[in-house]
Amino acid sequence: MEFLNVLTPTFVSLIVGGTLVGIIFGAIPGMTATMAVAVCLPITYSLGLQNGLALLLGLYVGGISGGLVPAILLGIPGTPSSITTTFDGYPMAKRGEGEAAMRIGIVASLIGGLISLGALALFAPTLADFAIKFSYVEKFLIILFALSVMAALSKDMLIGIFSGVLGVFVSLIGAYDISKGGNGELRLTPPGAEYWLESGFSLLPVLIGLFGLAAIFEEAEIGAPKGQSLKDVRVGKSSGFSFSVFRGQIVNLIRSSGIGAFVGILPGVGGSAASILAYSNAKTFSKTPERFGKGEPAGIIASEAGNNGLTGGALVPLLSLGIPGDSTTALLIGAFTLQGVQVGPLFIGNNAATWDAMLLAMLIANIVMFITMYAAIRYLALIVTVPKYVLFPIILMMCVIGAYTINRGIMFDVWTLLIFGLFGWLAVKLRLEIAPFVIGFILGPSAEVYFFKTLESFGDVTIFFTKSWIAGVLWLLIAASVIGSIVLSRRRAKSQADAS
Amino acid sequence: MGELTKVSIDFATSHLIFPRIVGGLLLVLGLAILISRRKEIAGAGAHWREIWRQMDKLRLPGVLALTLIYFSLMVPIGDLWPNTGMGFLICSIPFVFLSGLLFMHERGRREILIMTAISLTIPPLVWWLFSEVFFLTLP
Repeated sequence: MEFLNVLTPTFVSLIVGGTLVGIIFGAIPGMTATMAVAVCLPITYSLGLQNGLALLLGLYVGGISGGLVPAILLGIPGTPSSITTTFDGYPMAKRGEGEAAMRIGIVASLIGGLISLGALALFAPTLADFAIKFSYVEKFLIILFALSVMAALSKDMLIGIFSGVLGVFVSLIGAYDISKGGNGELRLTPPGAEYWLESGFSLLPVLIGLFGLAAIFEEAEIGAPKGQSLKDVRVGKSSGFSFSVFRGQIVNLIRSSGIGAFVGILPGVGGSAASILAYSNAKTFSKTPERFGKGEPAGIIASEAGNNGLTGGALVPLLSLGIPGDSTTALLIGAFTLQGVQVGPLFIGNNAATWDAMLLAMLIANIVMFITMYAAIRYLALIVTVPKYVLFPIILMMCVIGAYTINRGIMFDVWTLLIFGLFGWLAVKLRLEIAPFVIGFILGPSAEVYFFKTLESFGDVTIFFTKSWIAGVLWLLIAASVIGSIVLSRRRAKSQADAS
Repeated sequence: MGELTKVSIDFATSHLIFPRIVGGLLLVLGLAILISRRKEIAGAGAHWREIWRQMDKLRLPGVLALTLIYFSLMVPIGDLWPNTGMGFLICSIPFVFLSGLLFMHERGRREILIMTAISLTIPPLVWWLFSEVFFLTLP
């Protein structure tokens, strides 16, 4: 029971506070769990790793769960991962069953969160033990695999790959780091910017810019739509929910949570893919698929179990391979970096107490999420009505603190925030994909080191194919994801052609 | 085949190897996108005109301008009282107030009062928390 030592009042309060703030961020359309983590990162500087993670994991679980509130009450997904919750949640709310729909979503979220926590506890140590044996070759191929999976699941494979490679390219700006075996020479640095870009763009300002500032610019572009007034929100009757609605839905719950956890484990694939996949599977296997989209509780169960199932799964590649499972866990890398801890195959073995604390924090966050959302269900509607004109300026201000304090007071990091905020806003217009870009940006420097060290050690490019059986399997997986994505995009093109 | 796949790396120019490979790949992918999406790209004018037409021409340029001014003034003002975080505090109060006004839809007396109260309380509270409690450096 040694792991319970971490349960200090501060630790628990941070989880509770994080979960509540996360629910608020998740419940306000245009604000996401990723934004919540980005905005609150600077607070973790002074908290230490375990307490900092307690806060951030609470924000993550709360942020993903909060998205169901506007999805059901307004038909607007609070976060991208709750898109499919609108399909059946909103029709139920229109029938006056908003409260029942939310309760179904909250229970499904809890089960999804707990199943994914089990997946995290089971798979992360196993994968890490396996990954310890990896040489530079396999580590390089894992990164290639991560980028190929993300590209495969992008809306457009070619643009997905382009975005990922662009992320790698941008990450190489600056000096080739001597501490990683480089020669310290600058590259890709515009004349006059050598002083500012010697260490390249810092990770956290880039992420905060892409997920914080860019989202506010997008909202400003569409006129920062007014918050809803309470009379528009349909909570419905206070009765009308019974756990019997879950009768016959156990398979759906477990399958959807499992899909969520699996999608989470795939590097860089976010919550919207998890809930869409879980929803479409639930519809396919349902005896009454015609009811989906018209207020079918099974649809809400699939969507919410799927997106919360993602939370633990997304931490698996992060803690075992050092590769983020989605954009929010990419920000968690920042929290580890701040505390001087490197995530990768050795993390769990070397940081057993932190690992236990993370599992405990996720468990408590899920329970807190369930209790608060379930008990305060009628007040959740109030969150949706918080005016954005109050929130956006505060978020912008918090983004500045996060960027400025990351390297203990470098103003260029604040400008980085603006550069990548604008880039993130423009990227959407150019139809570039942000998730592959971010993962490429995070993994680019490691990819370079692994690639260079491999060639330096072996002096032959065939080593990438012949080093070990693991390398062979990884090439097969890379090929499978590329072929899979070609098949998917052809099928998509065909169905679009049929539809038109 | 054996000799063809052999690679020797000159350490002095090693910083350029990976960026060149990645840059080359980016170029090839860019060309592939240009060729495969040529119709879409040729007709992109309409896409951008539509974006321009739908854009809120007050709020987006307004928030960009305010952010630029906010970032630009923070350091010069902070330098007047070094290591106190005053640049952040003094610039954040009007920034929060003005951007709040910008995002507002109905600028009634009640809304303006709320925004005034928020801009006079939240930035000082945040400044106090980060610089005095957490001892973090602010501009």
